[in-house]
Amino acid sequence: MADYQLIIIGCGLSGLAAGIRAARFGRRTLILEQHTVAGGLNSYYHRRGVLLETGLHAMTNFAAIGDKRAPLNRLFRQLKLSRRAFVTHEQIGSEIVFPQLRLAFSNDFSLLEAGIAAAFPGCMDRFARLVRAVDAYDPFAPAPWRSTREFLSSILAEPLLEDMLLLPLMVYGNAEEHDMDLGQFVIMFRAVFQDGFFRPQGTIRDFLDMLVAQFRRFDGEIRFQSPVASIIRRHDRVAGVVLADGEEISSDAVLSTVGIPGTARLAGWDLDVAAHTGRMSFMETIALVPARSMAELRHDRTIFFYNLEPTFSYQRPDDLLDVSWGVICFPGNFQGLEAADPAQVRVTNAANYELWQRLEDDDYRRAKERWSAKSLAAAGKIIGNSPADIVYQDSFTPLTIERFTAKAEGAVYGSPRKIRDGRTPWPNLFIAGTDQGYLGIVGAMLSGVTIVNQHLLGS
Amino acid sequence: MTRDEIKDMILEIIEDIDEEAEFDQLDPDAPLRDQLDLDSMDFLDIVMELRKRYKLQIPEEEYPQLATLTSCVNYLEPRLKDA
Repeated sequence: MADYQLIIIGCGLSGLAAGIRAARFGRRTLILEQHTVAGGLNSYYHRRGVLLETGLHAMTNFAAIGDKRAPLNRLFRQLKLSRRAFVTHEQIGSEIVFPQLRLAFSNDFSLLEAGIAAAFPGCMDRFARLVRAVDAYDPFAPAPWRSTREFLSSILAEPLLEDMLLLPLMVYGNAEEHDMDLGQFVIMFRAVFQDGFFRPQGTIRDFLDMLVAQFRRFDGEIRFQSPVASIIRRHDRVAGVVLADGEEISSDAVLSTVGIPGTARLAGWDLDVAAHTGRMSFMETIALVPARSMAELRHDRTIFFYNLEPTFSYQRPDDLLDVSWGVICFPGNFQGLEAADPAQVRVTNAANYELWQRLEDDDYRRAKERWSAKSLAAAGKIIGNSPADIVYQDSFTPLTIERFTAKAEGAVYGSPRKIRDGRTPWPNLFIAGTDQGYLGIVGAMLSGVTIVNQHLLGS
Repeated sequence: MTRDEIKDMILEIIEDIDEEAEFDQLDPDAPLRDQLDLDSMDFLDIVMELRKRYKLQIPEEEYPQLATLTSCVNYLEPRLKDA
């Protein structure tokens, strides 16, 4: 008998969700995590006594208690977690800012509709058609790639509106440059505009603690600081893993959440790694601002999605960073949260992994300082210049992301080519998480759930 | 198990899966999924829970026999007579 029925590589959100599903139904399950804490892309660290989150700006897919079909509530049922006990804080409201126009949106869809009606008076019928098309589309049915850009332009024929709608949806969940698969667009349109943003009460740490506790309640085991060196292949199946320290652990099946390139490396999987490596990565700068100085900033929104150019191009920049568009997030600006001191501002911009990777120690450090200053200066055009008394400032680059999350080239949304059914050339090795195709916190967790349901609980 | 015990057990499993489940208006002869607004993932959990509790292997082609509360009881009665 193997040591475990299932080994999951990676204790991020997809790995934890997969683990809870498997353990809930009695599978002897082990999660292996290379770092000391859970979370992967959505984790945390401490600086100056403040817990800083990585990844999380907001959760998408807000749903009220009782809306049984909503992804968030389905997820909670699947993980046997009480949605009633899960306290949420909805966003105050967000804004898409272009030089020509601003569009506000919140968890009340009519705000976005009203903004579009005011700015594009002739377009409301066409926008309503777009919403009907989104409602009718099944993004989970297998379908060939279809261009969102062409779809939007055929329905709306308003290039500015198309760009403005795409900015938040692309920056929060598109692995491809320039265009987006229509199915992914529909998922993101629902998640961001129709369902909306919220935060769980507490921090991402509390959220992760809840998931880890649930996994352990079902007798799941986790080993931290246990990087996997390789996946053992025996004949035409996989038989377990070898850890970096040489220990072998056998299992009936392996579920990898470390992405297609990472899984290929561990299993000796001969596939086109470059084609499965995303080009979109980001640098994020976190500034801690004394509460008294927040008055100097325009902070009446939860998130600003800004573009300083008249048109929007979603691509890996030619320079280390592209500060001409990005995201400005106030993680404290959710309904019902008490004002924190210091308050946080986070600014995110597209970054070029390759250029960051070429920099040596001192150059890297200086580039980080220079570009985070440029990033805050660009954000200043939207929210006002950063106060002089910033308490603490930190940035993470594509290299930081790669190091801590195992995402190849720091591509937070993973491979532009997904493996929707989670299958690999080996019948008992599966992938879940970003490269299976569902993105965001709710999406990643549903990915873990779906793959376990489809491949591991049936038989 | 008697028919009543089986019925209670099914409702208990559903309650366990869905904290929002309400049985006051439940029609035992109408599809459970529609009435309780459950999806295929929830339905799988009922099957998995039966397997976990009673070591019952229910083949996929027999899932339709679990559609209503009455059909569940009919299907499970011979299979759980010694449980």
